[in-house]
Amino acid sequence: MKKLLVVDDEDHIRKLYTDVFTREGYRVETAATGDEALEKAASTHFDLVILDIELEETSGLELLKRFKESFSNLPVILNSAYSTYKADFHTWVAAGYILKSSDITPLREKIKELVMI
Amino acid sequence: MMEILQDVMTNEYLSFLKAQFDDMPLGIFVTDRQGIISYMNRNASSILGYRVPEDASGASLRDIDAVINASLMNSLSQIVEGRNLVLPEHRCSNRQGHFAILNVYVSPFRRQAEETLGIIGTLQDVTESARRKAELEEAILELSILAEVSEALSSTADLDEVLRIILTGVTANQGLGFNRAFLFLIDADGGYLEGKVAIGPSSPEEAGEIWSRLSRQQKSLKEMLEDYSDRENVSNYSLSSLISGWKIPLSSETFFSRALQEGMGINVTGRDELPESSREIMRRLHTVNLAVAPIISKDKKLGIIAADNQITGKRISSSDVKLLQTFANHTAVAIERSRLYDNLVEHAAELELINRQLAESQEQMIRVEKMSVIGELTSSIAHELRNPLTVIGGFANLMLSTGGMDGNSEYLNIILAETKRAETVLHHVLDFSRASRTKTRLIDFNQLVTATVQLLNSKLRHRHNPPTLRLTDARLPVWGNPDQLQHALLQFMLISMEELTDGCNVIISTLEREQKALMNIDFSGGDQAKPQIIKTLKQIFGSSTGTQKLSIIVAGETLRYHGGNYGIENVPNEFPRIYVELPQYKGGSDEETSCG
Repeated sequence: MKKLLVVDDEDHIRKLYTDVFTREGYRVETAATGDEALEKAASTHFDLVILDIELEETSGLELLKRFKESFSNLPVILNSAYSTYKADFHTWVAAGYILKSSDITPLREKIKELVMI
Repeated sequence: MMEILQDVMTNEYLSFLKAQFDDMPLGIFVTDRQGIISYMNRNASSILGYRVPEDASGASLRDIDAVINASLMNSLSQIVEGRNLVLPEHRCSNRQGHFAILNVYVSPFRRQAEETLGIIGTLQDVTESARRKAELEEAILELSILAEVSEALSSTADLDEVLRIILTGVTANQGLGFNRAFLFLIDADGGYLEGKVAIGPSSPEEAGEIWSRLSRQQKSLKEMLEDYSDRENVSNYSLSSLISGWKIPLSSETFFSRALQEGMGINVTGRDELPESSREIMRRLHTVNLAVAPIISKDKKLGIIAADNQITGKRISSSDVKLLQTFANHTAVAIERSRLYDNLVEHAAELELINRQLAESQEQMIRVEKMSVIGELTSSIAHELRNPLTVIGGFANLMLSTGGMDGNSEYLNIILAETKRAETVLHHVLDFSRASRTKTRLIDFNQLVTATVQLLNSKLRHRHNPPTLRLTDARLPVWGNPDQLQHALLQFMLISMEELTDGCNVIISTLEREQKALMNIDFSGGDQAKPQIIKTLKQIFGSSTGTQKLSIIVAGETLRYHGGNYGIENVPNEFPRIYVELPQYKGGSDEETSCG
């Protein structure tokens, strides 16, 4: 079973993604902060990270950089309400950039593509 | 007289008195009751033209009358009876025919309160003082004319008005009294004298009519100068047309050039030997005697005043020329001042225009900056909304897919549809706010429209015929946020294109109109295309709601914040046209423009 780490400071987003992707056969863990995410990634092997950019305590882009430094093979999908970050070259190291939407299909397909279920 | 005095005085005293009378500056003569001259002092004999007093011995008052024409003999009996005769400033000539002005005073000559023995007269030659008095009066008149013209000139700074006042002063009878006056001014390059304005009658008949009317009106010079309508009347347009547009090269040998070079007035007569160029001037002005005075202000040559008495034929004297020159010197200052004033007004107008443009640019920049702030605010609100919409829609989708709420699937679908709609609105708003992040700058409107059409084509690829783009050759700089403006233009293009059927075509063109940069969207196609185009226009400008309407509202506000506008224009025999306009940037022309 593929393991996903959802990093988002919004409780309901974490709950939504957990419920949706658990039902789709993934094992989902969540983190509300950058530190929590890094701790979990250090202690558990994940196949993919879904990472929000606008986190309360730390920037998602900074967190992306640290994930790449520590877990270079771990694919990270940036998942944001903001489309403007697409133009920021810091986001280019991410495996994907999906805008948050009530239609989860694009995110779902990107995950499938990356974890090759 | 001496016989009478002999009765009362010694001979020695008598000789003394006679010498005193002879040396007096006053002429004295005495006659008997019949008017026979019994005494005449040296001064009287000199005034009357006798070589010595003795030459008048035995002469009578008739002889004096014959010289000074004073009718003394006719008044003799009345004077003997006690009346005095006074002739102040009596104009006459002496025996040698020299003109003289005399004060004549004659009274009875009595021996102490006894009978009248004859008459005694005094002759005072006041010729020189009268001449000086006349000169003084003339000078006062000149000063008075100059003062009145000066006052009239100070009341206006308009050059045409100044020129008319000057020529009115030259031609008015109460002024310098010339029949006609012509004014030439040196052109801006200083190479030619140009005929400007002329005043005076063009024929004796017209002169008679004008002068008799002016005579009836009995206006003072001041009143004539102040009364614009009369100035109009005394000016003669046919006379002005005689010199209007006439250009006389200053390099040619004319009395005009000479007067300007020498800085002195000239009295030109037909009898003078004149070069052909000067004779041509005399011929063209139909004159045989012309007073010419250069107008020079502080060594700056401004022009020429020329005047003549063509109607009356009165000869122009050197004093007339001198007075005209004084007048010209005086008016030079007024002309120079008028020109300075015109320059000042011109510069003030330029400054005012620049200030207005600057204020408009500042206002526009402030509006655009405000737009950026609104964009930032909108962006943060929109992002805050996107998370809850994701959650609501996401869970609704989840519930629908798991069938966990059988019987409520209709409601879940409604939630999903409305969530989707709200997300579309957010998408438009975020497009706008993203554009707000771009800094404002100078933009080439043609490049902006071109880039927007390219963006449009990429969005509509394979769906429609691409629009035809026609750009003006004029440079159309506008100031603003290029992304915001591109977003706004794109909304109009998108809506114009999206609903069109295959039979319709769209032409997008740019042009300059009334200092504005315009983008027109024109439609073409057969009659079958009309309903669709009308539908499209209703969508854009009607009261319907929906995401397209919201896009147009945001686009319209963007344009308005940039000082622009949009609307529909009816084109005769064509489809209505959508126009979008933005004010052209009027700042420095050397700034770079970019479409962003």
